[in-house]
Amino acid sequence: MKKTGLQKTPEAFFTLFCVALAVLSLVFIGSLVAAPKLLFGRSLTAIAPSLFPVIVLSLLLVLALVLLLLHVRNPPAIDEGPNGLEGWRRGAVFFGIMTLYALTMVPLGFLISSAIATALLSWMIGNRVIWQIAILSLGAPVLLYLAATRLLAVSLPELNVIELFVARFFNG
Amino acid sequence: MFDYFLEGFGMALRLDTFGMMALGLFGGMLVGALPGFTTLMAMAILLPISFFLDPIVGIPFLLGIYKGGIFGGSIPAILVSMPGTGAAVATSRDGYALTKKGKSRKALDMALFSSVFGDTMSDIFTILMIFPIALLVMQFGPPELFAVLLLSLVIIAATSGSNPLKALIMMLLGLWLSFVGTDPLGGVERFTFGIFDLKSGIPLLPMLIGVFAIPEVASVVMKNERTKQLASVLGERLSFKEFRASFRTICRSTVIGTGIGIIPGLGQVVAAMMGYSAAKNASSHPETFGEGELEGVAAAEAANNAVNGPTMVPLLTLGIPGDNVTAILLGAFVAQGLRPGPQLFEEQGATVFAILVAMVFANLMFLVIGYFSIPIFSRLVTIKVSILIPLVIMFAFAGAYVFRSDSVDLLMLVGFGIFGIIAKAAKFDVMPMVMGFILGPPMEYAFGQTVAMTNGEAVNFFLTERLGAVLVLIAAPVIGYLLWRRMQTVTVTGH
Repeated sequence: MKKTGLQKTPEAFFTLFCVALAVLSLVFIGSLVAAPKLLFGRSLTAIAPSLFPVIVLSLLLVLALVLLLLHVRNPPAIDEGPNGLEGWRRGAVFFGIMTLYALTMVPLGFLISSAIATALLSWMIGNRVIWQIAILSLGAPVLLYLAATRLLAVSLPELNVIELFVARFFNG
Repeated sequence: MFDYFLEGFGMALRLDTFGMMALGLFGGMLVGALPGFTTLMAMAILLPISFFLDPIVGIPFLLGIYKGGIFGGSIPAILVSMPGTGAAVATSRDGYALTKKGKSRKALDMALFSSVFGDTMSDIFTILMIFPIALLVMQFGPPELFAVLLLSLVIIAATSGSNPLKALIMMLLGLWLSFVGTDPLGGVERFTFGIFDLKSGIPLLPMLIGVFAIPEVASVVMKNERTKQLASVLGERLSFKEFRASFRTICRSTVIGTGIGIIPGLGQVVAAMMGYSAAKNASSHPETFGEGELEGVAAAEAANNAVNGPTMVPLLTLGIPGDNVTAILLGAFVAQGLRPGPQLFEEQGATVFAILVAMVFANLMFLVIGYFSIPIFSRLVTIKVSILIPLVIMFAFAGAYVFRSDSVDLLMLVGFGIFGIIAKAAKFDVMPMVMGFILGPPMEYAFGQTVAMTNGEAVNFFLTERLGAVLVLIAAPVIGYLLWRRMQTVTVTGH
């Protein structure tokens, strides 16, 4: 016999997130949207700044509830997906390294943070050849940094001492 | 129009435009040929480079990646039955069967020639038709614009996946994200939660890289994929007689792809499937399709490449991106100060034609580069992901940072990446969300202007002055439903 009720699937959790988002946004719309600007007591625009968001959020709530209802009445089979638990563990490590990269890029500069992130990623994905990891993590960030700053003339975050060294090296 | 065309033609003949297009084509083919890596990912990551180039150089560079990548995706589809994109699924049916017969070179040549033919013809169609369509669009007022934008969102929702309810939810989520920042009508703050960095809204670039490129890379990491054994490029080249035998099929698929390209949301997957089905239906030997039929490869490749040019019609005339790749192109246009819409043709007509003419030249370069580099790209199927993925991530982070030089964008990139992978696991397509995010502000603006125009007498206003907009609004759900039914048939049965 087919099991009914809300199954603990990623689909159901995502739909519940949408319901929660819509409900909370609608309840607190007064504090999330600033009051319209007035001139001599009259609004400057034809519609209130909260009107379109209220329409969209109401529709989101209705559709998410309909989807949730369909889930309850006809629950999908629980599918662990192609990744499995090991896959999700690898995904968590991958996103952990990316978060570290995002947090260190400005304080440590592009070159050092990129060297750390690329070395960690390459090791995590299964590369155990040290010279490959070394060339990748030391060579690639330098090439990209020089291409960005020298060829495209855009700035990447870098420590003052390194920026000074690069400037001296290229300007003689 | 002809003056703009001539001026644009002259503007397109630049050495740096050709150089960057060649680089884009080469890069696109390279990325497309790598299993697990897609054109979309390459475009999202390399998009920031285009910001620092002249529009006539930067946008053709992205178009080169697009064209090269679509063809590149057919290489692993044919050689190892590993289609990198949905568009290459139909190609792999007969392509891989031909490889097993030792005719992979013929299949790759056929894919190249039919792709170039389909793409070139559809680009010429685009050049001829885009100006008359822009003139028509110039007659639109806010009610018509709102109706067309709503119709586009409905079509995108109906065609983006098997469940239109999920697509609509994602679209509404995208619209909600577009509210974060400052109201386009009154200039008041909305949904910023008091965070200073959100006052200017959510930046498009970290969102594009985050939801399109990062989940694809993460998916390769999570699956711990190892590449398949490469089938060596065997057999003879395609003969002219074989190409001529498939020419009718190529022409039919080009017409199908061109028609589908104009409609926002349908895209290459539908075109390839429809082209393939039409060729099979018209064939006197349909039983050979799927068993290694060159016509099957030709039909799918001509159709999916013929979509490329016409997708520029809704993008440039109305600012409506037809799919996720054109959403990235829209970002490039806006960053270059070229805001798509009917006014673009009045203000920057020559630049638009220069870009369109460059697309045709790109096809000719594509033919030459593709013909000589097929053996090289075929070898890429075995490159180690442990070297490629760190490079892709480094490019993604550098790209997300350089546009605003704001470290918050890096965190947004990671956040959207996590959101993308969760949405993927929950089987929610992120494409409608991005469309909702992009089309949200113009839609709200048009809605506000329409309400102002009614002057409190909406029924009278619409029935007497704006009947066209009303008809589009009424037709939107009907068209959406019919397209959804059609999509179900095409994706499930391939007919």
